[in-house]
Amino acid sequence: MSSRRRRIADWAFRVFTVAALVAVVGPVLWVAGGVVARAIPHWRWTVLTTTTNGASGGLLNAILGTLVLMAGVLAIAGTVGVLGGVYLAELAGTGRRGRPRGGVLRSATEVLAGVPSIALGLVGYLALVVQFHWGFSLLAALLVLSVMVVPYIARGTETALRQVPTAYREGAEALGMPTGYALRTVVLRSAVPGIVNSLLIALAISGGETAPLLYTAGWYTGTPKAALFHQPIGYLTYPVWTFWDYPSNQAHYLAFDAALILLVLVLLLLVAARLVVNRSQRHAEVRQR
Amino acid sequence: MPFISPRYRDRVDRDDRTVGPGIEVTSGPGRSEVDLVLEAMDPDGVRPAEAIAARNLSLCFADKHIVSEVSVGFPRGTITALIGPTGCGKSTFLRTLNRMNDRVPGFARQGDVVLDGESIWAPSQDLLNLRRRVGMVFQRPNPFPMSIRDNVVAGVRAHRIAKGKQLDVVAEERLRQVGLWDAVKDRLGDSPFRLSGGQQQLLCLARALAVGPEVLLLDEPTSSLDPISTELVEELLRSLTPALTLILVTHNLGQARRTSQHTMFLYQGRLVEHGPTQDLFERPKDPDTLHYVTGRIG
Repeated sequence: MSSRRRRIADWAFRVFTVAALVAVVGPVLWVAGGVVARAIPHWRWTVLTTTTNGASGGLLNAILGTLVLMAGVLAIAGTVGVLGGVYLAELAGTGRRGRPRGGVLRSATEVLAGVPSIALGLVGYLALVVQFHWGFSLLAALLVLSVMVVPYIARGTETALRQVPTAYREGAEALGMPTGYALRTVVLRSAVPGIVNSLLIALAISGGETAPLLYTAGWYTGTPKAALFHQPIGYLTYPVWTFWDYPSNQAHYLAFDAALILLVLVLLLLVAARLVVNRSQRHAEVRQR
Repeated sequence: MPFISPRYRDRVDRDDRTVGPGIEVTSGPGRSEVDLVLEAMDPDGVRPAEAIAARNLSLCFADKHIVSEVSVGFPRGTITALIGPTGCGKSTFLRTLNRMNDRVPGFARQGDVVLDGESIWAPSQDLLNLRRRVGMVFQRPNPFPMSIRDNVVAGVRAHRIAKGKQLDVVAEERLRQVGLWDAVKDRLGDSPFRLSGGQQQLLCLARALAVGPEVLLLDEPTSSLDPISTELVEELLRSLTPALTLILVTHNLGQARRTSQHTMFLYQGRLVEHGPTQDLFERPKDPDTLHYVTGRIG
């Protein structure tokens, strides 16, 4: 190949990578800028401290509701997903010819990840809300959200564990560490970034999901009650989805405020995740991001 | 009195004899200092002269024979070098001695390995305790992703040999033993990966020594180190005898000559020759050995 052709190929490659970057970053900035620009001009701090009143007032109920949902998902889906991932990576073992076992479980999580969230919401509504007579409730919402995000967490955990260097496992084995002990003290430690990232995605999804919550959580204008059943709960995506259609400026303002608060929440999550990852990686061989 | 678990107390008694400091060594005619230390370690003379021995050991993965009918004993308190060309089965043989191959798919064995007179596969043998007694150091330094101090005591913690403040004592003692203390005493909380390769390998040695092994398996421990670090490690290895029995896999024939009392030469999975290091290098009985030690096969 002539050097001229090589230079053109090189130049074209650069242009494509930059274009791809713009295609990713551009929409993010557009969305964030659009939300901020529409929310800031009429921003009132009382949005954070008062509850919704019809289609006006504040969003305290929705903020607390979303935080409760995220915490619940972290507890339920986090536990199930991380343990499932540990099973797939560490305990399922290898079958014939050294291929990893647990194929059925792995396919099941993949199928689950492919189910549209509105379908899960509908199933949750029919089974939990109607059939079990739970009504619109925290538990119904948590279960549907958890089922939705468990595949991401399990897969993320499995992948992170599979990337842990063999040398760590061998070293632990040669010292006579019990397998479970080595897993907890040596192996999981270097898988933390991958696991935290998958949890982050799960939380962002459960914070930003609307369809399944409309079916299971209902909507509530008071602050969340400590009840698992028969008690609907507010969440930030509801005003974004519903209030936008209302014929009042107050309602539109609340919709943009809710969108802004969601963005800020996700940003805070990112920062928190980075802090956790950095802390877990202070003795790491290769710093992971 | 620092915490020492009851499970370990009898080990401490035994290890006191192996460690050395509390031992009264009275020299007498015709007995070397090594003999005296060995006697002090085993006053009743009940321990076999060979710390660990392979008996008619054959190893294969799937249908591939890696090691064939090797019978060899490793005299207590000595360093035995295990040499041979790449692929001759050295590492497989070594890793079998603390049962690191047991769970490898397709691994099969015939024959036996005997530690202190007892088969390492005997039902009464606790695998984790076996690995505590037969430690291993790898070709590439493999510190764990935790602080330097936590690395040294990782095994001590796992076996509940000591806890609390006692761990600091163990860490200092072992870091001093491997000559790393002065270099790291001010940064025990730092990441081990900021240390040089040689220091990392010394740290791994400290970690392996901290659980009080009787036999130490070394799989080319200096092959990724510079000459100065190599010399430090070799010096350390020599200082570990006669308290410990060392088996050293090496590609470095000079290292085998410098450090070991006995050498075994493996070629194509067979034990071609085994004997005192000097004899094997200077008066090899087998033509293959001669070819290898003179560099004609390798």
